Amino acid sequence: MTGGLQRLGSTIVLVGVSFLLTALVLWISGYGVGDVFSGTVQGAITATGAATSTVRWAIPLLLIGLGVVIGFRAGFFNIGGQGQFYMGACAALVVSLGWRGGPATLVILGATAAAVLAGSAWSLLPGYLRVRFATDEVLTTLMMNFIGALVLQYLTAGPMRNPSGTGQTAASERIPEAFRITDSSGVSATVLLLVGAVIVLVWLLLDRTRFGLTMTLVGRNPTMARWQGIDVSRVGLVTFGLSGALAGLAGAVELHGPGARLVTGFSPEVGFTAVVVALVGLLSVWGTVVAAIFFGGLQSAILFLPIVTDLPPPALVLLHGMVAFLVTVKFRSARRRRAPLAPEALAD
Amino acid sequence: MEQILATTLRSAAPLVLVATAGVFAFRAGIFHLGLEGLMITGAFTTVAVGEATGSVELGILAAIGVCMALSAVYWWVIGPLGANVIIAGLGLTSIGLGGTAFALGAIFDVRGSIFTDVVLPRPVRGITSGPGVIIAEQSILVWLTPLIVLAAWVVLRRSRFGLRLAAVGEYPFAARTAGVNPSIMRLQALLISGALCALGGAELSVGALHNFTENMTNGRGFIAFVAVIFGVWHPIGAALAGLFFGFADAVGIQSQINITERVPREFVLMIPFVLTIFAVWLGGLWRRRSLEAEAGYAELREPDY
Amino acid sequence: MTVPSPSGPAPAVTPAVRCRSLGVSFGAVRALHHVSLDLAPGRIHALVGQNGAGKTTLAKVLAGLQAPDSGEVHIAGCKLPSGDVRAARGAGLAMVHQHFSLPPSFTVVEALELTAFRPGGRSVFRRAELRRRWQSAAAEMGGEAVLSTRIRDLPVETRQSLEIVRALATDARVVILDEPTALLTPAAIDTLFERLRRLRDDGVTVLVVLHKLREVAAVADTVSVLRDGELVLGPSEMSELSQGRLSDAIVGPASGADRTVGVEATVDGERQTLLELVGVSSRESAFEPGLRSIDLSVETREIVGIAGVEGNGQRSLVSVIAGLNAVAAGSVLLGGTEMTRAPPARRRLRGLRLVPFDRNSEGISRRAPVWLNQSALRLIGRPGRRLPLISLNQYKRQATEALDHWQVRYDSVSQPAESLSGGNVQRLILSREMAPGLEVLVAAQPTRGLDFSATNFVRRSLQRLRDSGAGVLLVSSDLDELFELSDRLLVMYGGTIVARFEAPYDRRAVGDAMTGALR
Repeated sequence: MTGGLQRLGSTIVLVGVSFLLTALVLWISGYGVGDVFSGTVQGAITATGAATSTVRWAIPLLLIGLGVVIGFRAGFFNIGGQGQFYMGACAALVVSLGWRGGPATLVILGATAAAVLAGSAWSLLPGYLRVRFATDEVLTTLMMNFIGALVLQYLTAGPMRNPSGTGQTAASERIPEAFRITDSSGVSATVLLLVGAVIVLVWLLLDRTRFGLTMTLVGRNPTMARWQGIDVSRVGLVTFGLSGALAGLAGAVELHGPGARLVTGFSPEVGFTAVVVALVGLLSVWGTVVAAIFFGGLQSAILFLPIVTDLPPPALVLLHGMVAFLVTVKFRSARRRRAPLAPEALAD
Repeated sequence: MEQILATTLRSAAPLVLVATAGVFAFRAGIFHLGLEGLMITGAFTTVAVGEATGSVELGILAAIGVCMALSAVYWWVIGPLGANVIIAGLGLTSIGLGGTAFALGAIFDVRGSIFTDVVLPRPVRGITSGPGVIIAEQSILVWLTPLIVLAAWVVLRRSRFGLRLAAVGEYPFAARTAGVNPSIMRLQALLISGALCALGGAELSVGALHNFTENMTNGRGFIAFVAVIFGVWHPIGAALAGLFFGFADAVGIQSQINITERVPREFVLMIPFVLTIFAVWLGGLWRRRSLEAEAGYAELREPDY
Repeated sequence: MTVPSPSGPAPAVTPAVRCRSLGVSFGAVRALHHVSLDLAPGRIHALVGQNGAGKTTLAKVLAGLQAPDSGEVHIAGCKLPSGDVRAARGAGLAMVHQHFSLPPSFTVVEALELTAFRPGGRSVFRRAELRRRWQSAAAEMGGEAVLSTRIRDLPVETRQSLEIVRALATDARVVILDEPTALLTPAAIDTLFERLRRLRDDGVTVLVVLHKLREVAAVADTVSVLRDGELVLGPSEMSELSQGRLSDAIVGPASGADRTVGVEATVDGERQTLLELVGVSSRESAFEPGLRSIDLSVETREIVGIAGVEGNGQRSLVSVIAGLNAVAAGSVLLGGTEMTRAPPARRRLRGLRLVPFDRNSEGISRRAPVWLNQSALRLIGRPGRRLPLISLNQYKRQATEALDHWQVRYDSVSQPAESLSGGNVQRLILSREMAPGLEVLVAAQPTRGLDFSATNFVRRSLQRLRDSGAGVLLVSSDLDELFELSDRLLVMYGGTIVARFEAPYDRRAVGDAMTGALR
C-alpha cells in the first residue's frame, strides 16, 4: 500500500501548493490571509448554521463526485456531471409541477425516478457513442453540459417560468412545499439517510462486488480485460448510466431540498468542482466523502466570508482552478523513467 | 438582415481568433480546454492595463504577455510535470474565470462589470443604413482577423514549421525521426495559441463591447474549441465554423428580439453543441475506418505526456 | 565466437559505420550488450537474429533515436553525439523504419519536406513550388501523381520506396533498413533488393535488418548476427559462410548433439477433440496477414505446436480462438460445441484458457494489484451465490494460495503487478489460467524473454498439464521449445498452415517451411 500512501501524500502536497498559491494571490491583493483563514473556519464549521451549510453544499458535490469516481474507475472520462445534474433537476421539476395535486410521497418518488433516468440518459448517449463508435467522451460529455444548461435555461425562462418573478435571472415556479424533503437549510434526516445509503451502496458496488472489481480491471487495462473475457462495452454502458444517475439524483435533491425552484444557471461550477473533489479524494469512495465535505465547507465559507473580509466568491473558483491545474501532477519519483518505444515488442 | 450580418461579424471575430488558437494547440496534439480561461484573461488584462496606461496597444501587449506566460505554465504542468491535459486545461479555465472576476474586485473594487473607454479604433463609422452597416462600427481587430487567419493558414499549411507541428500532433515518432523535439514544438504551439487567445479576449472587451464583465466569455472559449473540431483542425475550416457559430449567435440574439414564440433562443444556441457531437461522432467513424490501415501507427504512438 | 578475419575490404579503409561496446538496457532487459561492429563502405551488410535479439535497438542507436547507456558510434570516422537524430542525419546516416515513420495524413511532398534534412528554398512555400522541388523524387515512385497522394492511401511498397527516397534525398551515405521485407510481397522484395544493389553500386553503405536467411543470401555481401543483445558473428563475408553455420549462430547451440529432438510418446487414453478450427479465415490486419482456411484440432493429452516466423498470422489465430477477432469464414469449436460467434466469456467458461502474446499489456494489468490480476477469471460467468457481495479477503486468500502454489514471489498481494519480475508475471498468469475448469490452453510465446529457470518452469508446467489430460496449443518462435514439447507441429506461413510434422522433427525441414521455401 506504499503506492496509495505516496499518492495520498502527493495529493496533500499538491492541494497544499494550490492553497498557498491562492493565498499568495489574496495576499498580493491586500487581503489579510489570517482573516480569510479564520473566516473560512467560521464559515465552514464554527459559526451558527455553518456546519449545516457545509453539509448542504457537500451533498451535490458528493453525489456528482461519486458518479465521477465510478466513471474514472472504469477508465471513462465522464465530465458531464453538470449537464446530468441539470437534467435531473429539470426532470424532477417537470414531474413536480406537472403533477401538482398528486400525493406528496408519490410525486417525490416519481420526480426522483425521473431525475435519475434523465441524468443517466444524458450520460448514456455519450456512453453509447464511446463504447460503440469510440467517440471521445470528453468532448461529448462537455457538449452535453452546455446543452443541459440551455435546456434548463429554456425551462426556467419559458414553459416553467414563474410569471410573477422579478429580478434579472429567470427562475421557475416554486414546487409545492409538501414536495420538499428539507427546509431551506438543505439538510434533513431524509436527505442524510438518502445520501448515506448512496455512499454505502456505491462503496459496496465498487469495493465489494465482482462488478466493481471488473470496473477496476477495465479501467486499468481494457486490453487485458478483453483477453479475460470481460465485456468491456457492457461495463462501459453500466458505468456511464450509473454516473449520470447519481448526478441526476443530485439534481432532484437540490430541487426538493434547498432549492424548491430552479434558477437559470444555478450552481454553475458544481459539475467541475465534483471532478476536483473526486480527484482530490483519490477516486475512492471515502476519500471523496472527505473531499466533498472539505470543498462543501469552502463553498459554505465563501458565502459567509463577505461578512468577514469582503472576499468575493470568484476567489473560490480561482482556488478550484488551482487545485485542478495541479492535482494530477505526477511527482518525479512516482513517474517511471519513460518506457522506451516498446523495445522489441514491435520487432515484427 | 444587414443587422444580423453585422452582429455575426462582431460575434464571430473573437470566436475565430480563439478557434485559430485552438487549431495551433490541436495540431500539436494538445486537447486544449484552457482556451476559455486564456480568453477571459486576455479580455481582462487588456482592460486593466489599458485603463492604467491609457493605451489600448499597451493593454493588448500586456494581455498577450500574460496569456503566453500562462500557456508556458500550462505546458510545464502537462509536459515536464506530467499532469492530465484535460483536467489541467479545465483548471486553467477556472483560474482564468475566477482570477479575473476576483481581480476585478481587488483592483477596481467593483463587482460584476467595469466600463472602459480605452478601446480599439473602428475604421468605418457613421453608416446607419444599407449594406454598409455590416462593416460599420467594427473594431480594427475584426478587420485584421481575416489576415490573422490567413497568416495561420500559411504557417500551418504552407511552412516547414506547420509540417513539423502536424507531425508532432499526429505521430510524434515521425517528428522524432525527422530530428524534431516534440516537447519544444508543443511549447511553441501553446505560446502562439496563448497570444491568439489574448487577441480574442481583447476583441471581446475593447472591440465589440466597451467593458469587462465577470464571465463575459460565457463559454465562447469552448465554442471556439468546438469550432476547431468542426473545422477539422484546419485554420480556414475552424474560421468558417467560428463564423457559422457567430451567425447562429446573431440569429439567436435576433430571435430573442423578434420571434421568441416560434423558435426559443435556447434551441438556436444549442446548434453548435449538437453539431459538435455529430461531428465528433462522424469524425470518429471516419477515423476508425482509416485506423484499420493505420493500426501500425497507432501502436507506435508515444505516450508523450 | 570468432570468425576468420574477413578478407574483403582492405584494412586501411575507414569503416562507414563503427560502433564500440554499445550497451542499452530497458529496465531489467538487456537489449544490447558490448556490441562493437565495423561496417565497410559501399557494401550491403545484413543484420540478423531472433526476435528480441536487439536488431531494432541497434538500428535505432545508430540512427540517434535511442541514446545508448554506454559506447559510441562513429560515422565515416567522426564520433556522433549519442541520441541525436539531427547529428546522425547530418553525418549522412538515414534510417528506413520497420513500420514506417511518416504521418498518415501527410501527402507525399509534405512528408518529404518534413523529413528533408537540408531543405532548399524558403521555409514558407507554395504547393507547386514544393512539387517542383521533389519532382525528381517522384520519378522513383512511378510518376508525379504520387506526390499529392496521402501517405495512408499509398500501397505498402510505395510507402517503403518513399521512405528510401526520403532517406536518399538527404544525401545519405549510410542507409539502415529495419526489416524492410516484413510487409512486402515476393515480387516487391525482388524490386527492393535490386534497388539496394544499385545503391551499393553508387557507393552507399547499406545495413539491412533481415529475418529470412533466404533473403540474406539473396542480397547481402556480409552478415552479422545478434543473439540476446550480443554480437555473436560478423560482419562476415557471405561467400565464406555456410547456411548451417549462420543458423547455428542465430539460434545458438542446439540443446542436444543430435539435431533431431523427440518427445516421449504420451499415454493414449480416450481421445477427444477439445479445440477445433474448420476452414477458418479472417480479415487481415495492418501487421499480419489474415487467416486463410485454417484447419487444426487439439485433442486431450497433447501439445500441438505452432511454428512460424512472427507476423505470419499467429496473432490472428490466437485472437480468433479467444473470440477477440471476428471470423470471416469457417467455424471454431470448443469441446465439440460451436463457438464461432460466441463472446470471449462463453469460451472462457467452456474451459478455454489463454496465455497471451504480450504478458505485460495483455496478460496482466500492470497497475492493478497482484491479487486482482490473479482473480480476473473469477469475474466472469454467473456469481454462483445469491448475494452479489463478495469478500475481498476471500479473494485475496484464494489468490494467495494459488500464487504460493505456483511459487510466485511477491511482497504483498496488494502491490501492483508491475512490481513483479517477468518470470513471476508469467507464473501469475499460469496460476490464473491453469486453475480447475481448464480444458484447453492456448499459450502464445509463453517463455519469451524469461530467464533459464523460469523458462524451464513454464515448459514443465505445460508438460504436466498435458499429462493431466488437457490439450495445449503452443505458439512459439523458439524451435527448441517446440521440438521439446510438441506432440505435433504445424508451421504457419502467410496466414495459413503450410506444413504439418510429427516427432521426431527435422530442424531443417521445419525451418524451410517457416521461411516459405516449401511454397
